[in-house]
Amino acid sequence: MIKMIGQRAIASILSLLVLMVLVFFLSRLTGDPAVLFLPIDATEQMKEEFRRLHGLDLPIIQQFWHYIVDLTQLDFGDSLRKARPALDVVLEAYAWTLPLALITMSLVVVAAIVLGSLAAFNVGGFFDRLVSIISLIGASAPDFWIAIVAIVVFSIGLGWVPTSGVGTPWHWILPIAVLFIRPFGLVVQVVRGSMLSALSSLYVKTARAKGVKNTRLIFVHTLRNGMLPVITVIGDQAAAMLNGAVIVETIFGFPGIGKLMIDSILQRDFNVVLAAIMITALAIFVMNILIDIAYSVLDPRIRN
Amino acid sequence: MNLKPIFFGALMATTSIVPALAQANTDITVVLSEELDLVEPCMATRSNIGRVIMQNISETLTELDVRGDKGLTGRLAESWEDLGDGTWQFKLRQNVKFSDGSDFDANDVKHSFGRVFSDQITCESKRYFADTQLTLDVVDPHTINIKAEPAQPILPLLMSLVTIVPSETPVEFVREPIGTGPYAMTDWTAGQQIVLERRDDYWGELPAVTKATYVFRSEPAVRAAMVETGEADIAPQITELEATNPETDFTYPNSETVYLRIDQTVEPMGDIRVRKALNAAIDREAFIGTVLAEGTELATAMTPPTTLGWNPDLKPHAFDPEQAKAWLAEAEADGVNVKAPVEVIARTENFPHVAEVGEALVQMLNDVGFNASLRMVEVAEHEQYYSKPYPEGRPAQLVVAQHDNSRGDPVFSMYFKYHSQGTQSGVNDPKADELIEAATAATGEERAARWSELFAYVHDEIVADALLFHMVGHSRVGERLDFKPTIATNQQLQLSEIGFK
Repeated sequence: MIKMIGQRAIASILSLLVLMVLVFFLSRLTGDPAVLFLPIDATEQMKEEFRRLHGLDLPIIQQFWHYIVDLTQLDFGDSLRKARPALDVVLEAYAWTLPLALITMSLVVVAAIVLGSLAAFNVGGFFDRLVSIISLIGASAPDFWIAIVAIVVFSIGLGWVPTSGVGTPWHWILPIAVLFIRPFGLVVQVVRGSMLSALSSLYVKTARAKGVKNTRLIFVHTLRNGMLPVITVIGDQAAAMLNGAVIVETIFGFPGIGKLMIDSILQRDFNVVLAAIMITALAIFVMNILIDIAYSVLDPRIRN
Repeated sequence: MNLKPIFFGALMATTSIVPALAQANTDITVVLSEELDLVEPCMATRSNIGRVIMQNISETLTELDVRGDKGLTGRLAESWEDLGDGTWQFKLRQNVKFSDGSDFDANDVKHSFGRVFSDQITCESKRYFADTQLTLDVVDPHTINIKAEPAQPILPLLMSLVTIVPSETPVEFVREPIGTGPYAMTDWTAGQQIVLERRDDYWGELPAVTKATYVFRSEPAVRAAMVETGEADIAPQITELEATNPETDFTYPNSETVYLRIDQTVEPMGDIRVRKALNAAIDREAFIGTVLAEGTELATAMTPPTTLGWNPDLKPHAFDPEQAKAWLAEAEADGVNVKAPVEVIARTENFPHVAEVGEALVQMLNDVGFNASLRMVEVAEHEQYYSKPYPEGRPAQLVVAQHDNSRGDPVFSMYFKYHSQGTQSGVNDPKADELIEAATAATGEERAARWSELFAYVHDEIVADALLFHMVGHSRVGERLDFKPTIATNQQLQLSEIGFK
């Protein structure tokens, strides 16, 4: 297993290096940050000064060299718009995105596995139909609409939770609830499908014949075998959350990485874009390695 | 296990949380549409920064009165005098302290201007001075002479754009602004909030608001909801869709003017009959109350009616499709290619319903015989079409643009939009250049008259562009506040103007 993780890590580092070069040159193709930072009637002299101050007047190869040299010291440079280290800006945003993603995904995993498994066990029954309908609605409902409706109902109408912000734990309820719905809908369907297939296996019939209790049958014998495809989907959903939840962040004023990345791209804040993409890529690579480890723990064939 | 009591208990607990979040007494919360990247005084002319800093933390030498009719008044300057030869003498207010406890004097003014014009920092307010060179001469601690080359008749007005910082302020963007204003910044948590608290040692009258917390939400429905639930007291920018409560919602001219910039150097726009036809083809009234908010006014000038020299005699171009067709036919008969493709270029999210406005404009133009199409572009691409140098080999282009001038004088608009050297000008007319230069150099009543003449010339004589609308803004103000937004609310939100009922 250590060999497999080592191979994965090397592949990830190579991918990061390629990404680093690509992002640098592609972001430079998108336009001149001076045009967006300065007002529309800024003089050409102001634009030239801005480019000089931020090294944007240098030949592109020279800019790339500085970028590589700085990166070796983990220095992504300063944000053009915020005038402070880009890495600090990105890490601050991650400090909000990570807990949001972790809490939401934990809830999704627990709820989807329990409800999906029970639905599969009672296939065709009322509970199964109810879970299927809820999961279908969850998987297809637009985040934006849900978020606005949630604010109207729970904040304005009932006054139970604040509309937005991050000040107290109460502020986290709506963002987490809205963010929960879509991945929950997807994962619960995959769990149900996977468990249906596992429950029809011979070893399950044997266990039933031997009088194993239902809860043990579902959550001990079958779940482990039904989890492999589920882990893949959970990994995809978690990766999407690590990229930031732009809509939820925008509506609830959540200062996460998704909105920061979009704003930085629109504003041509190259250093923040580079730092955000590299840190996100790193986080996703780490998560992929964790998923590989989970695979190998669940399936001895992969481990061997 | 019965979970019902726990569930309802939790819900009851939350109901007591939300009111606790609301502000009490004389503290207020302001919800803005975008977070500040910087809290730098020399960037205070940028609207999102100015709303927090301008005249709250940092003050200027002079100030334009947008609530009354006092015109230009003193703030940190008590008086000023034209000494001739481009030199103005400013007498500064005494016994003024910065929020760090240091005394305000003429050296601070000199240093503040040095920062703005330094090539080590990109300060936004520098743009208002264009190629004007300033020399600052400290006469005594409370008197300073400022010489402008070339002479700048509106130098006192320009002083309302430069915020004053202490002499010790480094020539780099600061994160803890120090100013002479009635408030000091006590907290800036990036991504969350900025907090200003009232200074008890402020030189002027103490404002009623003791503490202002600024939070940032980009979704207008959420901003409006925050005021409705009591989480915030003022949402300066909401959309017409949310502005439904007459008790709390205000609609007011916001100093933005929407127009179609015509590039006269590309066929067929060089022909005045084509430009007249273009103006006659547009049914301006049809937009108001449909895709644009009620209260929007038809524009006859690039600047709003509150600007010096605004000409009340000008009337919007009449909607007359038959006349437009006749002008086009006349031009075509003289060999003008009126069927040449015309691109209407608009910027996404430039103002509410910009795409619908663009679509309607294109339809109206095509109805009278133009060959127009719409291109929606994002901000950086829009800038390429809007500002010089314009792209080579371009077809005729009409750029839908929005221009803001709440500064009180047309000089901040007219050179850029109509002078042959202006960055966004589509005009190349020697007489327009002459009028702009004469108005810029004039003072007093003559200045107003010159601007008035220029407004008439570009609107009626050369039909330089298609002026469309003076826009309105919408704000929601909590019922406990005594505050009415003004034309300047786009640029600044002075906490000292806010009272309590």
